[in-house]
Amino acid sequence: MSNKEHAQANEAQTLISRPGIAGPIPAVHDMPPFAERLQRGLEDENMHRALERFAPSWRQSRQALFEATAAEYGSDYSFVALRQRLRAAKDEAIAHQQELVARFKEQATAAGAVVYEARSAEDANRYIYELCRRKGITLVVKSKTMVSEEIELNHYLEERGIKAVETDLGEWVAQLDHERPSHMVMPIIHKTRQQVGEVLSRATGREISRENVAEQVAVIRREHRQAFLTAGMGISGANALIAESGTVMLNTNEGNGRMVTSLPPVHVVLAGYDKLLPTFADAMTQIRLLARSATGQPMTSYTTFITGPDRPGKEVHIVLLDNGRSAMRADPRFKEALRCIRCAACANICPPYQQVGGHAFGYIYSGAIGLVVTPFHHGLEAAAGPQSLCVSCNACETVCPVEIPLPSLILDVRSRVVASEGLPWLKRLIFGVLARPRLFDLFTRLAALGQWPATRGTPYVRYRYLRLFEGLPGLRPLARLTRWRSLPAFARRPLRDRIGARANLAAARQEGRRPDEMTVCYFAGCMTDRLYPEMGEAVIQILERCGLRVVFPRAQHCCGLPALNSGDRQHGLAMARQTVRMLERALDESGADYIVCASTSCVVTLIQDYLRLFEDLQLQSWLNRTRALAGRIMDFTSFLLRVLVAQQRLPALRRLRPGETAPVVTYHDSCQSCNCLGLRTEARQVIRDVLGLELREMRDSDVCCGFGGSTSIEHPEIAERLLERKLRHAEETGATLLVSDNPGCLMHLRGGVDANGRPLRVLHLAQLVAEYLA
Amino acid sequence: MKSSALFAQFQSRLSAAGGVAHWAEDLAQAAEIIATHPALAEQRLIVPPAFAACQPWGALLPLLSARGIRLEEAMTPEHVADAPAGLSCASLAIAETGSVFLADNALAARIVGMLTLTHFVLVSAGQLVPLLDEAATLLQTLTRPGPQQQHYISLVTGPSRTADIERTLTIGVQGPRALCVIVVATPASDPSLFSSEEAKDRDNEQ
Repeated sequence: MSNKEHAQANEAQTLISRPGIAGPIPAVHDMPPFAERLQRGLEDENMHRALERFAPSWRQSRQALFEATAAEYGSDYSFVALRQRLRAAKDEAIAHQQELVARFKEQATAAGAVVYEARSAEDANRYIYELCRRKGITLVVKSKTMVSEEIELNHYLEERGIKAVETDLGEWVAQLDHERPSHMVMPIIHKTRQQVGEVLSRATGREISRENVAEQVAVIRREHRQAFLTAGMGISGANALIAESGTVMLNTNEGNGRMVTSLPPVHVVLAGYDKLLPTFADAMTQIRLLARSATGQPMTSYTTFITGPDRPGKEVHIVLLDNGRSAMRADPRFKEALRCIRCAACANICPPYQQVGGHAFGYIYSGAIGLVVTPFHHGLEAAAGPQSLCVSCNACETVCPVEIPLPSLILDVRSRVVASEGLPWLKRLIFGVLARPRLFDLFTRLAALGQWPATRGTPYVRYRYLRLFEGLPGLRPLARLTRWRSLPAFARRPLRDRIGARANLAAARQEGRRPDEMTVCYFAGCMTDRLYPEMGEAVIQILERCGLRVVFPRAQHCCGLPALNSGDRQHGLAMARQTVRMLERALDESGADYIVCASTSCVVTLIQDYLRLFEDLQLQSWLNRTRALAGRIMDFTSFLLRVLVAQQRLPALRRLRPGETAPVVTYHDSCQSCNCLGLRTEARQVIRDVLGLELREMRDSDVCCGFGGSTSIEHPEIAERLLERKLRHAEETGATLLVSDNPGCLMHLRGGVDANGRPLRVLHLAQLVAEYLA
Repeated sequence: MKSSALFAQFQSRLSAAGGVAHWAEDLAQAAEIIATHPALAEQRLIVPPAFAACQPWGALLPLLSARGIRLEEAMTPEHVADAPAGLSCASLAIAETGSVFLADNALAARIVGMLTLTHFVLVSAGQLVPLLDEAATLLQTLTRPGPQQQHYISLVTGPSRTADIERTLTIGVQGPRALCVIVVATPASDPSLFSSEEAKDRDNEQ
């Protein structure tokens, strides 16, 4: 390493462990360790069945509502436009927080409210407790507030002899059962009606139906009436704090919120600074997004606007909570998370969340946003386990109503966890090898020779071969991994050995070009190169049949995705630089017009993740170099449709052979293709319109297959379940071919098909097209 | 006609939220709708204090009394809790969402819509507006500091509901089990009390 590189690496290291993340961490009482929460979540079949049922119906009603509104009121009211507006309002509030707080305080105080700024959880708890003590209040009624969960207010008050009653039905049942909410909007989605009936029977001492939900709901009205009429204080959260008027906005459905805020003589509002919004107009935008994003309903039953006390003798206290929010605001990346309106859309759409629930997928706050904010409110350690559950499918970002880059922020948390706790030895070893091209080359070639006992010459590492060696140290975990998903064998001849003269980059220049000739630099990705060279050959075949000149830089290597995705920025950075340098040289030597890659995961790494990495590490020149490259990089599917088909370069297709029946195809949307690159129609156009094949859509075609990079190794139970669902949905269509355009998914899908002997062929889109060229 | 299209929109949104919207030409029709509603089986109706003096809705009360309905002014929460029916008036009805806009500083007035089992809300057709944005404008006006400042405003969209248990939708939790909004075309016999855009439109059409 040169001195300069050393200095850069050092700089990178200090930036990785950038301070400002923790601060004093309040202890959370009775929180079981992550492993225990995860195990419980995995075993809770009722819960994941409920969450799996909810997800598709929520997606459908949410989308239908946004589409209907846009159709009726125009594109200004589309989801995209609304979320841009709310994002802008929230960004303004975050940027001008001090002015907004001053304005809010001034207006709320003028309207008769008392505003208290609490730096920590302890400050907020103490303020509320002292208020109770001064007024001799011993009973408090509460409307649902996540901030109260964040600071464990109930626990604090109860330790000091003050009874706090949750009046939201779900929160109340959770409270009675000494649980925390597992979802920010539907606190007891993990409970069945039988369990609720039991809890209510135990609490009331009366027999409450285990089946009749209406009867269960009726219990709360009767049980809480007295508390509402006698409580000395009502505590609520806030959905927004409107600065222009000093108004607190609350969205509720059950009607308890209005009672909590109206009936007792003292009302305490507990809210983070992140709830500030400049104007009522902004609040309307939030209303239009909140309920639809949360539950797929158009609007909550009650939207209440409170501006100071309504009557003489009534007190309104507004507790503004920091508790880590200033640290978030000071962080150029994490300040974006302060836009959150706590709708839980990121949880609703999250595939691993559906498998383990919010107690494991989060800490106090659950879902993707929970993984992001937990380090700031409850410490990095509290986020260490939960963040490992994210499969980086990016679905959350597509539905977030304030455009928080959740997947990237989760990876930032991951890299901070790695920076503080170090990588597990196995990953350190793997990425160490991966980051050294020659060593990796040697390793894969040796592995291809030595793998026979595990593959018996087939393209798979199979459980039935491996089980013989299960007794050997270290092989048991590997064998267990192949039980439900065979792993791919290393190719005896990787793609780089099959490319012949295409490795001569300068030839394209030297031989001169026809005026219409196009040169493409093919970046294969290490998975295609080492595991699936036949996919690469299909890509090359198509490009050349279209009359293109293809060059294959032999210096190409892993783009660094596995390391970056595991939070290993040190090795990731090395591979990113290596790849950028290699591609620049290849373009320079070959004069290629495009860089084409048939792995959308690699494309996203190249054109999105590198930018963020170099930006974070303030490596300006690398950032500029990557930006210059990014415009030339195209994923294979887009290239096929937008260049080859659009320019009518694709040759004629062959006729079906005698006796050959056309296959029925079903398509799996790789997460990187649809969620990161926005490819939702392109592959379908190729299959249906270009190839003329029958395409049968599977259910949830754009839901993650469970590969999720290293998640499938760290949390195989989750990967297995997601894969099982995906293959079940594919089979339900009756299709014989399962097609996708990302080798990572294909590896996972193929392995699942092989291990379970399912009657499906799994192909890359390029392989399918190549089969039909005349 | 503009108002009928808006009303249809309002009605469908409110009904999707579990509420019911009625159109009444005048107060007599509104009285008829309330008096014949099943919630009035006991002929008992809670109204906010000083409702009789409230323009233009106060004139409805004699019409209801004439039908034998016992009108009770709301007093304490204990008094109003679980009463079969209550009546309020709204400052706006919003077609986009099927919401009514209720502004009441007096707790006794608010508990009518909070604690009774069926909540009737009156709103004049002139106050039926297309979009939530008009609520923002009115909120701005009403929360302006001063003696007229409104401290407690609610947009009510349907009866109280929950889906907390197994996502089973249940109507009627802590608040009303039914919400019945009556949009009255001409709430006052005195046209000077009725000078909305809607009335002007109608005058122009005639």
